[in-house]
Amino acid sequence: MARIYEDLGIVIKRSKIAFFVMLALAILVVFFYWKLQVLDHEKYWKLAEANRLRQIYLAPPRGLIMDRQKVILADNVPSFKVSLIREMVNNYEATIDKLCSLLNLDREELKSRIDRYRSLPAFEPIIIKDNLKLDEVAVLEARKEEFPELRLEVEPRRNYPFHELAAHLLGYLQEVSLEEMKSNSDRIWHPGEMVGKAGVEKQYDEILIGKEGKLIETVDSLGWSRGEVERIEPQKGQDLMLSIDLDLQKKAEELLQGREGAIVALDPRTGECLAWASSPSYDPNLFINRFSPEEWFKIINDPGRPLENRVIRGLYSPGSIFKITMALAALDSRIITPETSFYCSGSINIYNNNFSCWFKPGHGRLDLAEAIKNSCNVYFYQLGYRMNIDTIAHYASLMGFGKKTGVDMPGEKEGLVPSNEWKKRTLGQKWYPGETISVAIGQGPLLVTPLQIAASTALVANRGKKILPTLVKLDSHQPSSENVGLPSETIEEVIEGMWRSVNDGGTGHGAYQPGFDVCGKTGSTQIISQETAEKLTQKGEEIKKTHSWFSGFAPRYNPQIVVTVLVEFGGMGGQTAAPMAGEIFKLYREKYVRQKSAEGN
Amino acid sequence: MLDRRALKEIDLVTIGLLVVISLIGIVFVHSAIYYHASQFVWRQLAWLVLSLVVLFLFLLIDYKIMLSFALPFYLLMNLLLLSLLLFGKLVHSTKSWFVLGSYQFQPSEITKLAIILLLARVFSEYRDDLMSTRAFLVSSAIVGVPFVLTALQPDLGTALTYLPILFGAYILAGMKKKYVIIILVAALLSGYVGWNYGLKDYQKRRIETLLSPAQDPRGSGYHLRQSKIAIGSGGLVGKGYHKGTQSQMRFLPARHTDFIISVIAEETGFIGILVVFSLYLLFLYRLFSTSWIAPDRAGVYICFLSGMLIAGQFLINVMMIVGLFPIAGIPVPFISYGGSSLLANFLVVGLVLNVRMRRFAFI
Repeated sequence: MARIYEDLGIVIKRSKIAFFVMLALAILVVFFYWKLQVLDHEKYWKLAEANRLRQIYLAPPRGLIMDRQKVILADNVPSFKVSLIREMVNNYEATIDKLCSLLNLDREELKSRIDRYRSLPAFEPIIIKDNLKLDEVAVLEARKEEFPELRLEVEPRRNYPFHELAAHLLGYLQEVSLEEMKSNSDRIWHPGEMVGKAGVEKQYDEILIGKEGKLIETVDSLGWSRGEVERIEPQKGQDLMLSIDLDLQKKAEELLQGREGAIVALDPRTGECLAWASSPSYDPNLFINRFSPEEWFKIINDPGRPLENRVIRGLYSPGSIFKITMALAALDSRIITPETSFYCSGSINIYNNNFSCWFKPGHGRLDLAEAIKNSCNVYFYQLGYRMNIDTIAHYASLMGFGKKTGVDMPGEKEGLVPSNEWKKRTLGQKWYPGETISVAIGQGPLLVTPLQIAASTALVANRGKKILPTLVKLDSHQPSSENVGLPSETIEEVIEGMWRSVNDGGTGHGAYQPGFDVCGKTGSTQIISQETAEKLTQKGEEIKKTHSWFSGFAPRYNPQIVVTVLVEFGGMGGQTAAPMAGEIFKLYREKYVRQKSAEGN
Repeated sequence: MLDRRALKEIDLVTIGLLVVISLIGIVFVHSAIYYHASQFVWRQLAWLVLSLVVLFLFLLIDYKIMLSFALPFYLLMNLLLLSLLLFGKLVHSTKSWFVLGSYQFQPSEITKLAIILLLARVFSEYRDDLMSTRAFLVSSAIVGVPFVLTALQPDLGTALTYLPILFGAYILAGMKKKYVIIILVAALLSGYVGWNYGLKDYQKRRIETLLSPAQDPRGSGYHLRQSKIAIGSGGLVGKGYHKGTQSQMRFLPARHTDFIISVIAEETGFIGILVVFSLYLLFLYRLFSTSWIAPDRAGVYICFLSGMLIAGQFLINVMMIVGLFPIAGIPVPFISYGGSSLLANFLVVGLVLNVRMRRFAFI
């Protein structure tokens, strides 16, 4: 290779010049450091002494949550908490030992808690215990000099004065997790900050949260505060007024006491929910304590699933309640007229299968209104026999089944409306006409939530006007006025059946309230198969394994309230759910209707 | 392939300086993050050992062979940068990292190596005394493409470290005066466009900070002010290891990366700064002086561009922490905390050592 003879002189010269220019620059920089560190040392030394500012985050009180009469359901109480500032710890093990004995903490738990926040900067205080008892506060205050690494602070703490009441509605708070802090970096998070994890607390977290304040203080070289420099007070979050009526809510929860189920009451004119009960319940105050894993495990492992919000997350077969939808579908698609009658002999043979009515002796010949009143299965088997599953699915979807109602509450489930397409997609099979017969009385793969039933009942009560259920009274909420396009005369025919069911000795008579014209429909859903049920009846055993439904509205004209009750394993709808709904109607009437008419007189 | 004579010529002085400088870095990273989890330090030590091993393996390959693969290597790195932009996940709010399980890797660091090799290859056949328009455009494009791809991540700090390499190439190739003017105009224009459309707010604030540092001590001027207080209060002999009040009490931001020299200045004083500067300048001298004895043009370019890269980052950093340069998020090679940048910088030095040990191996 000839490159050895290549003349590299000029590039080497340039390289040398460049290096020495940079060397000169570096030496100038060194002189600058000399000036800064030696000549101006005193000035910067003083600045360093004055420079010890520390910024502390002040938690804002959350907005209050109130019922429609401004009874406070969630407020704040002052609470003491103690946090550890890791960068001030001198002897880690010794500090942990002392803390454990002073505050009765479990050593491993405390360590794992500190480790959890390992990746956060060392100056961020980590809350190690909150809701301190007064004697603990006194101990820490007395030994303050010993623990410069601890901070004792008063903080507003969420409090639910009614404990288990309306727990599913309100939701609960929990400490923000590290994952949440990392995934949502738009917001400035502080370790140990409480955020809404369910219910209204979650849905309206941003409104309730308020604005954090901060405190800037001078500290000496040991970290002791030497006075405040600046203090920006935190701003309380916005208050929320719910549409819930506390009296109705209390009544609903009282009725569900000791049972598993849900009650929802709403105003069909606006969609505002008046009561929202899910049973069993839990005490949201328990979640506020940052140190209560045992209680937490107890709640999540409870077989009654108390955390589950059954109103929007419980999926059930609608049972005979679905006959309302079937009746509307059959009338609107002109399969029957209100006068069409069928004969019920107690059972019917379709597609070589025996389908029986719940009333063994048979209802005899009946028209639509009577069929609804008596909840006659045979009548609706006849409708199912004459209808296509896709037509039923179309009307079910019109009534709001199979999709979310859109209520302002997180975690709502959609339920399920079967159709040809659904079965093909999920099971890869053809829909059999025999299955349509079960769907006609609300069995089969159909799944609904209690809130969907309430919303569909409101649609009937409104003669075809759909509602959007809401929980919070906000100015921005506009009652929806979407009409689903069912003629009001058609709906009136169905309402006649619902009226007779309650007022004319039908299955819903348990909900009867003198002078309030309640209209409703019962439902009992089989949880065991038809064959097993028949075997049990043959043996003379009582079938208790049914969920009990009632959904209705009152008064018949210009309805003011819709009530839906579901009791798990409650037996027949007429026996269990209807009387419960009756109690709610009664209380509503006493509180709102009679009061008004008294005022009128 | 490996010549015995070449093996004897491995520059142990430079490697020794490199290890000493890296160890000083680890010692002060430990002080800077004293109250953080200490695993940082072990991780950095592991990276140092790994970098040394990789460096020796790297020396086995003749740099002339590397030069023949310069173009595909360069294209590959740009492809990686592009795919990061298109498919990368945000880590620390930039798309600079490839994440493989718990291991993160930053291709923009290794890209420096590719740029140096490709520029050296392009200019190895270039014999003119002055730079032609074509040479100017080609070399600008070679640096410009990865610069844009990295700046979009957005990691302006790493992108800026490519620029000293480009300036190095301009200097060696002999830039004409008219190009100096073009560059100045282009810089002003892109500065104007960048200011109005490209820069993030925090970057703008940092530049404003340089212009008027005293206006808002808790806001934009905060970083610089804290850094200057830390350095100035260190005095002649410093406050002692682990005893820097500014760095220990978290007033000093990013203290284990961009502001590690401030920690050293606070805790060891001007004496410490003199020691660190002397070691570093000696080390830089070893890099540059290799370019003066390189056997061929490509060798000169490799050594000089590598030297420019390391020197550029060092100078910018020591100037920015005292307010002589905008705070740009550029760490000090070998001293600041950071695994993939340590490895990449070791490989850059490896290129220089490679040229030095093969300066007699003509055939």
